[in-house]
Amino acid sequence: MSGTVHDLLAASAARHPDKTAVFQGGRSATFAEIDSLANRVARLLTQAGLDRQDRVVVIMGNSIESVGVYYGILKAGLISVEIHEKSTPSEVSYFIQNAGARACVLAEAPASRLGGIEIPVLVSPAGPGSSRARTFVPWSALDAVADERFEARVSSGDIASIVYTSGSTGRPKGVVLTHGNIRSNTLAIVSYLGLQEDDRVMAILPFHYVYGKSLLNTHMAVGAQVVINNRFAFPNAVIREMCERSVTGFAGVPSTFAILMNRSVFPKTRIPSLRYVTQAGGAMAPALTRRLLDCLDGVDLYVMYGATEASARLTYVPPDRLRRDKLGSIGIPIPGVEVTVRDDQGRELAPLEVGNICAQGPNIMQGYWNDPEETSRALKPWGLVTGDLGYRDEEGFLFLTGRKKDMLKIGGERVSPKEIEDAIVESGMVHEAAVVGKPDQYLFEVPLAFVVPLDEKTFDLEALRSFVAGRLSPHKHPRHWTVAKTLPKKPSGKIDKEALRHEALLEMRVA
Amino acid sequence: MTAIVKSDRNIERPTIEGVAMTDLAEKITAYIRENFIAGRSDAVLEPDTSLIEAGIIDSTGVLELVEYLESTFGIKIEDEELVPENLETISNILRFLASKGVGA
Repeated sequence: MSGTVHDLLAASAARHPDKTAVFQGGRSATFAEIDSLANRVARLLTQAGLDRQDRVVVIMGNSIESVGVYYGILKAGLISVEIHEKSTPSEVSYFIQNAGARACVLAEAPASRLGGIEIPVLVSPAGPGSSRARTFVPWSALDAVADERFEARVSSGDIASIVYTSGSTGRPKGVVLTHGNIRSNTLAIVSYLGLQEDDRVMAILPFHYVYGKSLLNTHMAVGAQVVINNRFAFPNAVIREMCERSVTGFAGVPSTFAILMNRSVFPKTRIPSLRYVTQAGGAMAPALTRRLLDCLDGVDLYVMYGATEASARLTYVPPDRLRRDKLGSIGIPIPGVEVTVRDDQGRELAPLEVGNICAQGPNIMQGYWNDPEETSRALKPWGLVTGDLGYRDEEGFLFLTGRKKDMLKIGGERVSPKEIEDAIVESGMVHEAAVVGKPDQYLFEVPLAFVVPLDEKTFDLEALRSFVAGRLSPHKHPRHWTVAKTLPKKPSGKIDKEALRHEALLEMRVA
Repeated sequence: MTAIVKSDRNIERPTIEGVAMTDLAEKITAYIRENFIAGRSDAVLEPDTSLIEAGIIDSTGVLELVEYLESTFGIKIEDEELVPENLETISNILRFLASKGVGA
């Protein structure tokens, strides 16, 4: 049964069972312990009545347990649907329904997380609360499960994960990734980063997000180690742990590096063990990359580009070229992947001509879950159409120039303005709403909302903010609200977002 | 387009149950409630609630809080001082401010 993601972990566990695989605060787990936890999770979920390729929604922050749950779901031939830890009950209910999930695994008691959502199987630390679950399995049941190797027939073509990502049309879409997709991407990343079993990465990025997950999978695959630290809110404490644990690697999105370089002791700290740093999750301002390079003396910085639809990674800039002459580029394709620039008809463009960035390779998704229409828009005979615009130079290095769709990039995550607008309108308090992005020093962009009240006299902005807060995860909450009598329109009747962006910038300057 | 109101943030009365709060504690509690937990009725905010573990503040939230403390109290907070001991809870923040001569 080769060709699966969990086989990579099992092989490392067979090679060095007693080596520590994951550190988390004062705790740690060896490869054998992670593999055993995965075996027990697989057995538990199967015993609870789940069948091959059933979807399991997982709401857990990064932890030793979440690692065991992920590999356990894969071992059982189930499909892992990991979602943002701070998802609201309304978002959770959407994910469960959209994925047709038959089970949900929680790190916390379900009361605050699930509301009254119906789910056949629920795994959580404490009782089912008010959630409607047909079968409730407490975490403690894991202790009673036989600790033997779990064997299920799983092949590289089976679906391993559905990862939700914002769609331009509103609600998030489920990106369908097979074992073969994730495994090939994992091995390609291992190869260009030159990861070895003596590597040890500091993981602050969430594992529900493909970039975070790629840290886990690549390090487990080569028998290297992952240090989980969920407290980047205090970057100095993370830097301290990087020194104490002698980590060799670190990974971040642009906001991570903005915080590290602008408001932490990172620029003044030397971490002798550090060998490489990776940056992905959106374009970073070249000035910040330059400062980061200056501060990373003797450390390789890998600037990378990818998409959830590509399992994670598509391109990277070789560190020597980044320092020498390719700052601002997203680099060259990773091993086994072809990246091309094409016009809307799929014709390949010449160097320096701007077009659609497209990609083909074993890492490209199967499509969007139950959404043939969006799938046919994204997957063309010439590969995945990323939605990013750009060009290649004479040497084949790629450069991004913009994005085709109306999308925000908040922190490392794409967010659809329409999803936020829809939540505002759902309140029944406004006539219309528009959300635009405002550049932000740390998050790249933050959402701003413009709303026209249905009834000016009774309109209550605080009530509207509360309503939206109950619908959307915190990073999607508008940072600033403007209440207006009308919104500017284009001749077509559509809201003129350019004008709103302009207005927002002016107001910010005055405020 | 005419803006009628901007998002002037209402100052709610702070509600840390059973603790007689100083004006300073009230002010900071109100700021956190208003900016980080507006609309989340389930959020508990007590003097020793970890703002991070309770999911109230994330990494950029800490920086917003620091900017607020700097501009409101006219103090300078060094990068070295951005540690849990100074900012993890409202109690820690008050202690930290006192060490900077605020509210002492």
